[in-house]
Amino acid sequence: MTDPAEQSNSSQPQPLSGYRVLDLSGPMGVYCGKLMADMGADVIKVEPPGGDPTRDIGPFVGGQPGPGRSLYWLHFNTNKRSVTLDTGSPEGVSLLRRLALACAVLLETCPPGHMDSLGLGYESLAAESPGLVYSSITPFGQTGPYRDFKASDLVGFAMGGYMYVTGWPDTPPTRLWGSQAYHTASNRAYIAILLALYHRMMTGEGQYIDVSMQEAVAATTEHVNTTYNYTGEPAVRCGFRHGGQFIATWKCKDGYASITTNTQQAWDDLRAWMDRDGMAGDLRDEKYNDRFILRGENSDHIEGLIQRWALLHTREEITEFGQSNHHPWGPAATPEEILENEQLWARGFFSRVEPPDGGPSLVYPGAPYRLTESPWQLRRTAPAPGEHNAEVLCGILGLSPQEMERLSA
Amino acid sequence: MVLNADSHQTALALKGIRVLDFTWIHAGPSATRILSDQGAEVIKVESNNALSVVGGPASATARGLGQRHNWNAGKLSISLNMKTPQAVDIARRLVAVSDVVAENFSGRVMPSWGLDYDSIRAINPGIIMLSMSGFGRIGPWKDRVSYGQTLQAWSGFTQLTGFPDTDPSGPASAYSDAVGGMAGAQAVLLALIHRARTGRGQWLDVSQFESLSALLETLVLDMSANGPAAAMTRSGNRLPHGGGAPHGAYRCSGEDRWVAISVFSDDEWRAFVDAIGNPQWTEDQRFVTGEDRCRNADTLDSFVESWTMQHTAEDVMGLLQAVGVAAGVVQTGADLSRDPQLQERGFFRRVMDHQGEYRTIESAPYRLSRTPGNVTRGAPDFGSDLTYVLREVLGMSDDELADCAIAGAFD
Repeated sequence: MTDPAEQSNSSQPQPLSGYRVLDLSGPMGVYCGKLMADMGADVIKVEPPGGDPTRDIGPFVGGQPGPGRSLYWLHFNTNKRSVTLDTGSPEGVSLLRRLALACAVLLETCPPGHMDSLGLGYESLAAESPGLVYSSITPFGQTGPYRDFKASDLVGFAMGGYMYVTGWPDTPPTRLWGSQAYHTASNRAYIAILLALYHRMMTGEGQYIDVSMQEAVAATTEHVNTTYNYTGEPAVRCGFRHGGQFIATWKCKDGYASITTNTQQAWDDLRAWMDRDGMAGDLRDEKYNDRFILRGENSDHIEGLIQRWALLHTREEITEFGQSNHHPWGPAATPEEILENEQLWARGFFSRVEPPDGGPSLVYPGAPYRLTESPWQLRRTAPAPGEHNAEVLCGILGLSPQEMERLSA
Repeated sequence: MVLNADSHQTALALKGIRVLDFTWIHAGPSATRILSDQGAEVIKVESNNALSVVGGPASATARGLGQRHNWNAGKLSISLNMKTPQAVDIARRLVAVSDVVAENFSGRVMPSWGLDYDSIRAINPGIIMLSMSGFGRIGPWKDRVSYGQTLQAWSGFTQLTGFPDTDPSGPASAYSDAVGGMAGAQAVLLALIHRARTGRGQWLDVSQFESLSALLETLVLDMSANGPAAAMTRSGNRLPHGGGAPHGAYRCSGEDRWVAISVFSDDEWRAFVDAIGNPQWTEDQRFVTGEDRCRNADTLDSFVESWTMQHTAEDVMGLLQAVGVAAGVVQTGADLSRDPQLQERGFFRRVMDHQGEYRTIESAPYRLSRTPGNVTRGAPDFGSDLTYVLREVLGMSDDELADCAIAGAFD
């Protein structure tokens, strides 16, 4: 097998190179734009003249806000170009329209109807650019009684059905760490855009894509809908004891560890280990032989025994024993451990970037997939506001430098 | 922009693409269902040894049956006993006429059948091979085993999800499988685009650990810039950065009923205060600016909850949405099944299975105007499309089929 570092040779072509994307998205779509940019698309992020409001979202380099210091901005805008335009003025809107017509993909997250009101709706643009792939991400979609409802990541997560089941029976429903409703909306929109781009390659036709964050979340819960639709009972919160106790995480000596007894062998091995420690109680009894017993009426009793035993061992002992016996056991890692993870570094997932001004080097996360022939690349870090005004407004649209100055300042 | 749901645009984006699908359980099948929805012919290769796994053809539980249909609707199924040379030969012939081969076994399985990427590429040079695994097929951890929950623990999601003063809860379900499924489908689509442009296939090494780690946002950036002290900790329903208060789930009237509310700007705060009738406590000096509200969020939350407790979650959503404040019911599976928005948009679909029973599945969470996709049937029965695939796709004769059957190739 080739060395992974060698495979991310920057001379390799990327699947989306040559596609230009107009990125008008806010936080709901910013990750979608990044996914396209990271795979080679020329993603042009449009900002208001003072810079995008998300540049003020922390954390910040050195803990202090300031130009170029928002790690949120740096993370979500890798490989993009930036132009500043006043989209509140008719001239700005007219430039935006010209830019859109020079793009293969338009990505936006405005409330339904807003782009139409600017004269930048799909039908109006498609009349001149029939190959345009126009993707709208909104909280609830372009149709239906909730189309005008507002949502944040939290509200999208709640309305999609993921929040009710996350957390413990005695805690409020809980959000996932990170803005996962936004990420999921972006992930789903990206799939739809790739489908549309493939169709465009085959036929030359563009199309309109309507993505609902609520649906994106609802299609990503694994068990919420199937449980209700097939058993009539809604799934409930059970913390990290997913699906009964046999896919479970336990508190141990130095944190938490996941001990999944997905096979009979895993359950037998766990009981044998507990027994060697003198902590198995009556679990070696024949009536506990079936691993699905963990779902049954004795689950509280069994849970108590496993929990008392788990506190004797470290995450590493549990992981070592499980993995050496081919069981899917592992530690709940801390953030510091993720930064140091040897598998992620060995595969070239992380990229270390030295900043030009001599500050601390930054470690960027990489791609969700590894395409061996056409890989992910960090070609450029996130842009400064309007960094590419000349390249884009003069280079692509043919404005004179004077016009550019006037319209982008 | 409103799409015409009755338009006669029935093109399928992936018509003509054939996927030979060895995947099982959740992540793999959810990736290939994304392709099958858009017209790819997905041929599931199934084994007698895995009938009752999650998503398997003989799921033991009602929920398992639901997962079978949800992740496998629209696909074909053939049964192959890969321990027989005849079955391996059929698989190799199917490789020759497929565009994509997908698998999510442990790293030893495909090579043991002579179906590693190099062998597959020798049969079909333009092939795209999707290998999905916990940690990826190269690197020091390539042989480690994982379930969704193992990966959520190892990637930090377990430790970081939950409230600061309780045990972490982690994601409720197998978020990592859903995320891996999306990454798998994305990788295949990118590879199809690349192949259309260059004529070249490739091997896709999807590590679900990486698919999840890609969603950690600024976690590692923050530690690299600001040192380990910047490592984030659990913050419950509040955002560690970006503010917002109230921002959380608030108990409403009824049994275990909750509403999610998020207020960021001063305008949203004023609209919120008006909508709840300007109670005295909203004028408290502790809640004047956004910064004040975040700093005093515990106190603010208890006031907010004293109001939400007097209302149903649905009423709170309606009242706040009417003034432009983001609020939504924390919906249960039952709520989703009768959600008027999802109903209007046709999110849940009823499709017929092989026994003529209607099964409820989720549809793709996007509407493409020209290639809307199409799922017309539930998951296949075990081996139900064997005859079609062997006769029509491979052109095998009845005699060949009989010989293979006698040799146990389909058992």
